[in-house]
Amino acid sequence: MDATARPAIVIDNGTGYSKLGFSGNSEPSFTLPTVIAVNESFLDQTELLNSANWIAQYNAGVMADLDFFIGDEALSRFRSSGLYTLRSPIRHGQVDDWDTMERFWQQCMFSYLRCNPEEHYFLLTDSPVSTPESRECTGEIMFETFNVPGLYISVQSVLSLSAGYAYLKSISDENSDPSVVSSGGLQERGELLPPEDSLDISRKVKEMYCYTCSDIVKEFKKHDKKPDKYIKHWSAIKPKTGVPYTIDIGYERFLGPEIFFNPEIYSVDFSTPLPELIDSCVQSAPIDTRRALYKNIVLSGGSTMFKDFHKRLQSDIKKIVDDRVAATNARHRVEVRSYAVWFGGSVAASNPEFYEVPAT
Amino acid sequence: MILLRSPSRFLLQILQDRVLSGEKGMDIDCHTVEFDDVRYHIQFSMRNPKVMVLSVALPLPPPEAILYDGLPLGAIEAIKAAYGPVVQILDPPKDGFDLTMKINLTKLPPDEEQRNAILTQIASVREVVLGAPLKLLLKHLASKTVAPNVDKLVALVHRPNESFFLAPQADKVTIVYPMRFQDSIDIVLATSFLQEFVEARRTAALNNVPSCMWSPAPPLELKGVPADALNANAGFVTFVVYPRHVEGKKLDRTVWNLLTFHAYVSYHVKCSEGFMHTRMRRRVESLIQAHNVCLTCLTLQALDRAKSDAEKLKKLVHGGSFKRLSLKNEGN
Repeated sequence: MDATARPAIVIDNGTGYSKLGFSGNSEPSFTLPTVIAVNESFLDQTELLNSANWIAQYNAGVMADLDFFIGDEALSRFRSSGLYTLRSPIRHGQVDDWDTMERFWQQCMFSYLRCNPEEHYFLLTDSPVSTPESRECTGEIMFETFNVPGLYISVQSVLSLSAGYAYLKSISDENSDPSVVSSGGLQERGELLPPEDSLDISRKVKEMYCYTCSDIVKEFKKHDKKPDKYIKHWSAIKPKTGVPYTIDIGYERFLGPEIFFNPEIYSVDFSTPLPELIDSCVQSAPIDTRRALYKNIVLSGGSTMFKDFHKRLQSDIKKIVDDRVAATNARHRVEVRSYAVWFGGSVAASNPEFYEVPAT
Repeated sequence: MILLRSPSRFLLQILQDRVLSGEKGMDIDCHTVEFDDVRYHIQFSMRNPKVMVLSVALPLPPPEAILYDGLPLGAIEAIKAAYGPVVQILDPPKDGFDLTMKINLTKLPPDEEQRNAILTQIASVREVVLGAPLKLLLKHLASKTVAPNVDKLVALVHRPNESFFLAPQADKVTIVYPMRFQDSIDIVLATSFLQEFVEARRTAALNNVPSCMWSPAPPLELKGVPADALNANAGFVTFVVYPRHVEGKKLDRTVWNLLTFHAYVSYHVKCSEGFMHTRMRRRVESLIQAHNVCLTCLTLQALDRAKSDAEKLKKLVHGGSFKRLSLKNEGN
């Protein structure tokens, strides 16, 4: 039985979550946060390149480089013991730290998927704006360290396409940015967030409480008039001191997702709202395809799962387009959105012709 | 993570989720593959919510390893002993698989800890099935007898088309692994890893541990084995296991570790390669930094020189223009 007879392994590494599994399945085997907790207590932080650090690592125990955890285990270890530092190898959809990424993949393959990388073809995903160098690095790690027989790196939006939809658009990866806005907003108002947890808490807050509003001015008024109805509370226990605390979440609930529609809130560098981006993209396509494109807009990725995101997007695009075309229709499927990319990869890789495509 | 764990994380996750979600849930139909070509197929349908069907496919055995009905010796008894009434073996197994089991969720013990223990055992079905003959032999070792009807040399399958050999005796069992790797770098790394392995056991005075040896040529115990089974490009590892290593709780762990020894070595070889890449990257970074510093210095030097040259030129030009002007004036 050789590599082409076995199911391929599909790994979708996103900024927030990684989805891993085998092709031919309808959902990923594992969905874990893309974080890794490393034990670096023996390294001198100021001089990372010093050869003395290698000796320190050796003395710390020859297996010190294997002392790390990924995913949910990483988060719980990080909280329970001060020995580990959390690292996130992917920022804005692209790999920042190759050492950490290599270790992450190593644990994915041997501890979670429990497969021998030499025996399977791999399908990895990449952001549409990633550089050729980063793809080269990925290939280098996969082939040199793990000896994979074949590798195919595909663009995330293309895979959502093979998940059965008919629209192509690369949505900029602002995945972690709503979390940053919420945490920045919360800290500005003086809420006491334990610093180590801040990004994780804001992620949870984002997933639980954030929603998309239809009109930002009206939302502010609503919040001010009836604070009890809108302000949610988040209570937890500080990991280091064990003291319970609560924080109030108010405007951030809708400001987070609002950055897709008014990017100036977050940073002055971006000023094109998402509906305008989509519209200009469709307008640049040949004229006879535009109606079909408007009818089939696909939302995929964790950030699009905010409550009412699609309604807001639909109404905004409609406003822009109403003077040009008579009626538009934004159609989307809801169920597989959060792992549409993975599912597309699984479908693509289970096609028997897939095995001829990857590089070896 | 230094040792590979016995239960399959994925199977355990599915089983636990299923038990927790009770009445609601979706249909499940998943295929998973594990190292050494072990395939699982787990099915669950809401039409029959109390039952899950798990099928397992084992690696293809080499000619010298004998299977009974497609399963290793003693596998069926081991399953019955480990799982009791919770699991029922379906005969014949599903197409393409060697074993199909029906898991009856209603027969799980009500106590949460016991239930988790059984689910973990079910997720370790690989260890139970593939390790059955090994467990049988080691149990006999623990009771200091030799299993009846067992040849001097037993071949057990652990990887597709590969087996490892056991020579059981009353007071010890000698286990020999021919180690094979495909990639040339892997072979080199594995050979040094195994030699260090043996050294570590010797020098660190780990006296309670089974003794182990490494040799590039097949050891004497493997006399009479066909030549293609002995083709090993990373040498032969020999372990000698005594009764004290397999008494009580240690038996299961010993069985798992011996069964997956090759996977363990392969995992550590890959980790070492990863570690070396890390070091190479750091070295390249430091060289680039040094290079950049050098370049900056050279550039600054060159700029300085260029500046002073430009000033000299300027003086020359100005001087020349004055001269020309004065000439012009004189000419006029």
